[in-house]
Amino acid sequence: MSQTMTDRMGELREIVADVLEVEPEEITDDGLFTEDHDADSLQAIDVLARIEKTYKVDIPQSELPNMNTLQDVYKVVASYAGWRD
Amino acid sequence: MTATTTGALPVAAARPAPAAVPLAVLGWGVVSSSGIGADAFAEAIVAGRSGLADVGDMFPEPLPDERACAMPGFNVKDHLKGKGTRHLDRATKLALVGTDLALADARPAIEDDPGMVGIVLGTTAGSVKTTSDYSRDTFVQDKPYLVDPIMFPSATINGSAGRCAIWHKLGGVNATIAGGQLSGLQVLRYGRMVLGRGHADALLAGAVEEFSPQMAWAARHLYGDGPERVPVGEAAVVFAVRDARRTREAGIRPDAEVLGMAFGTYAPPGEAPDPGLGLAECIGRALRQAEVEPGELWAVSTGERGVARLDQVERRGVQTALGGRAVRSLRVKSLVGECHSASGGLQLAALLAHHRHDPALDGRASLVTSVSADGAVGAAVVRGWSRPHSPQNGAEA
Amino acid sequence: MTRASTRRVVVTGLGPVSSIGIGIADFAAGIRAGRSGISPISGFDSTGFPHFMAGEVQGFEPKRILRRLTVDDWGPAGVLAACAARLAVQDAGIAPEVLEAAPAGSAMGTTGGESKVTELLTEEAITTGWGGITPDTVGHIPASRLAYAVNRELGLTGEALTFSTACSASNYAIGYAYDLIQSGEQEYMIAGGADTIARWSHAGFFRLGAIAAERCAPFDRDRGGIITGEGGAALFLESLDSARARGARIYGEVLGYGLNCDANHMVAPHPPGIAECMRRAHRNAGISPADVDYICAHGTGTPANDVAEWQAVTEVFGDRTPPISSVKSMLGHTMGAASGFGAMAALVGMTEGFLPPTVNHANPDPLLEGLDPVPNRARPAEPRIVQNNGFAFGGNNAITIFGRLT
Repeated sequence: MSQTMTDRMGELREIVADVLEVEPEEITDDGLFTEDHDADSLQAIDVLARIEKTYKVDIPQSELPNMNTLQDVYKVVASYAGWRD
Repeated sequence: MTATTTGALPVAAARPAPAAVPLAVLGWGVVSSSGIGADAFAEAIVAGRSGLADVGDMFPEPLPDERACAMPGFNVKDHLKGKGTRHLDRATKLALVGTDLALADARPAIEDDPGMVGIVLGTTAGSVKTTSDYSRDTFVQDKPYLVDPIMFPSATINGSAGRCAIWHKLGGVNATIAGGQLSGLQVLRYGRMVLGRGHADALLAGAVEEFSPQMAWAARHLYGDGPERVPVGEAAVVFAVRDARRTREAGIRPDAEVLGMAFGTYAPPGEAPDPGLGLAECIGRALRQAEVEPGELWAVSTGERGVARLDQVERRGVQTALGGRAVRSLRVKSLVGECHSASGGLQLAALLAHHRHDPALDGRASLVTSVSADGAVGAAVVRGWSRPHSPQNGAEA
Repeated sequence: MTRASTRRVVVTGLGPVSSIGIGIADFAAGIRAGRSGISPISGFDSTGFPHFMAGEVQGFEPKRILRRLTVDDWGPAGVLAACAARLAVQDAGIAPEVLEAAPAGSAMGTTGGESKVTELLTEEAITTGWGGITPDTVGHIPASRLAYAVNRELGLTGEALTFSTACSASNYAIGYAYDLIQSGEQEYMIAGGADTIARWSHAGFFRLGAIAAERCAPFDRDRGGIITGEGGAALFLESLDSARARGARIYGEVLGYGLNCDANHMVAPHPPGIAECMRRAHRNAGISPADVDYICAHGTGTPANDVAEWQAVTEVFGDRTPPISSVKSMLGHTMGAASGFGAMAALVGMTEGFLPPTVNHANPDPLLEGLDPVPNRARPAEPRIVQNNGFAFGGNNAITIFGRLT
C-alpha cells in the first residue's frame, strides 16, 4: 500500500467513524458498516456527501450499494476521483 | 368588524367553557442554566439563583451580549449514554435530556404501555440555527445542494420530538406545537385533548428552545438592548402527564394538577382587540374551569421579561382578572432568562419548584399567564403538592 | 361513547391555494382533470440545482383575497394560510359577523413554517452579519403566526394552534379541530396547513436523493421521488346541527382520526407504524377496513414511501384493498399542506362522484402488486368512506377518515 493510499484510507476511516459514532480503530478495512455498526441509509448518504465535499468529486447515489466496507468506499472514490495508487 | 373596533371583548369570549379533563403532572425534568433536573432546578429557583453565564466562546459568530442564561458547558454525553447523539442540533440534545429526566422523575412511571405514550413538544421555529445553517450552505457551498444530509431532520421543526420518540421508544402521538411564547401552555392544552379523547394514555409534554446567535440577535432586533430586558436563555422543560381522573381513581398524589386552561388570539399590544382584556378574560375562564376563586391563589407565575409593552399587557390582564387583589408574583425569567417557547413550561416548573419541598403549599392553587408579542394570550390554573419522599424532606432517598 | 350521543362534525367549506388552482372551483376542476401544477422553480434562484421543478402557486394575488391582513406584515406561509382560510369561509357561505361572534379558532399545520423568512435573513447575514440585517421581518419568524394569521384575517379571538409536525401536519390540525367541535369547546374551526418552497428544503431533499427530475410519478415502477411544492389548504368545520340550521352545503363528515409515531427512524417510513396508525384511525372513526372505499395516499413518489405505504395497506386491508391514489402527482409535495389538500381532493371526489387520479402513471411496479392507483384519469365512483394518509419525518403518522353524510 502506497503512502498516499494509506493516508487516504485514514481520511476515509475518520469520515466513516465520525458519521457512525465509533472510534476510527473500530472501522476495519473489510468490516461491514450495516452489519457491524448498525449504519442506516441516512448515514450512508452522509458518508457519501462528506466524501464529495472533502475530495470535490461527484459520486452518484447509485454507488451506495457498492460502498459497504471501507475498502469498497476507497475503490468507489478512487474510480470517480481518478486516484492511481 | 365588531371584534376590532371597540375596547369591549367580542361576544365569543363570554361563553362558559365546557367541563375539561384535568391533567395530572406525575414528574418533570428541566435542562436550564439554573439547574439540570427537577431537584437542582427547584433548589436554584427557591434560592433565587440566576443562570447567567459567559457565552462569549460558544459560537464563532459575534453575539449581541457576552452573557446569557445559556449552558456553554452542556454536553449531552454527560447525561445520555450510547450512540445517536453526536449529529444532532442543540435543541434536540436538550430535549432528549429533558424527556429523559421527566421519565425518571415520574411517580409512578408512565411507560407501562409505550405504544400509547406520546410526546408533545413546543417550539418557536425548531432549531432556527440548523435551518439557517442549511440555508447558508445553499448560498456559500460550491454547489447549492452541498448541505449535510444527516442534519436534515434537525432542520425540520419536528426533529426534536421525533428523535425523543426514537430514543425512548415511545410510539404514541408525536406532536410539535409551534406556539412560541405560548407553547408551554399549548402543549398542556393539546395534551389534555388527546388524553381526554383516548388518543394517548400518557404524555411527555414540554418545550425546548436552544441558545444560538440567530435567536440572540433576533431578540436584540425585536426588543432592543435596554438594561431592564432579561437576558436571552435556553432550556428544555418536560412534564410527564396523565388524565387526572385516572390518577385520582388510583389514589395517586401527583406533583400538580392542571385544572383549567384558556387561550385567545387578539391584536399586538396597543391595537384592538386588546390582549390585556383578552388575558383577563382567559384567566377568568381558566379559573371557572378549575373552580378556583381568585382569593385562593398563592402565586401568579408570569412571563414578564422586562419589555414594557408586553409586561404591561400581562400585568393589566392579571390585575383585571383578580380584581386588583395582591397575589405573590413569580418572575422566573429574571433567573432563567427569556427562553421563548420554553417560557410557559419554566413558569409552571417554577411553581412546582416551590411546591416540591414545601408541604405548607400542598393543595394550593396558582396561576400561569402568557402573552406573545403577536397578541396571543393564555392562562392556566394549577394545584401543586410536595414530594413526600424527596431527599430534601428527610424521607427515604 | 356512541356516535349518536355526541355532536357530528362536518366540512362545509374548502379553501385551496394550490399550484393547480386557487379556490375550490378551480382546484376541483384541476383534480378531476388530472392537471399538473409542476413548473420550473421561480420562487428562488435554482441555478446549480440539477433538479429544479416544483409545484408553485401561479397568479397568486393575496391582496385580492385578504380583507383584513396587510400582506407585508406577515411571512409568506402566513399569507398562504390566511388566504386559504378566507377562501374556505367564503365557500362555507357563513356570514362574517356570525363567525366573529362565535367560539371559533384555527389549527394550522406546517413543515417549515416561516423558514423562507429565516432563509432570506440568512442570505443577508452572510454579508452583514446577524447584527446588521434589516430587522423588519425578524418578528415574522415564529411558526405560530400561521394560525394567528388565520384568526386575525377572520377576526377570530379563539385559540389558534400551529402544528409543526412536518408533512402530516394538516391531518393533526383537522383531528384537533374535529375534537374541539365534537366536544363542544368550539362552534367553528379552520383546519389545514401551509408551506412555501425554499432553498434549504429543496437542497435537503435533493441531497437525500429524494427529488425527481421532472415529474412525480407515485406507484410507478420508475418513480424518481418527490417534486417539492407549496400552497395553503384550509377546511371549514362545524357541527352537523349548525350546518343544517344554516342550510349549508356539506362536503362530508369527519368520522375520526389516528395518530402515532414510528419511533424507529427519522426519515425512513416504517410499515408496522403506519399500519398501526391506520388501525387507530379506523377504531377512532368506528369503522373497519372493509368500509373504506378509497385511500388518498401519502404517495410521495419516493421508492421507499410507496413501498412502505403499500405494505402497511396490505397488512391492514388484506386482499381487499381499495383504490389508492396520490394527488402529489399533480400538486407536488406541499409538505405541511399536503394532507389538507389530500382531504380536500377526497371530499371533492366524494361530493362530485369521482376518485382523484394518480397522474404520470406509465408502468405498474411489481413491488406494488395489486395496487390500483386510479391511473391518469379520474374515475367515476361514489365513495362513502375515504381514508386520508399523512406521514412525516420523525415517524409522525396522522390519518383522517371522512364519510359521505348519511
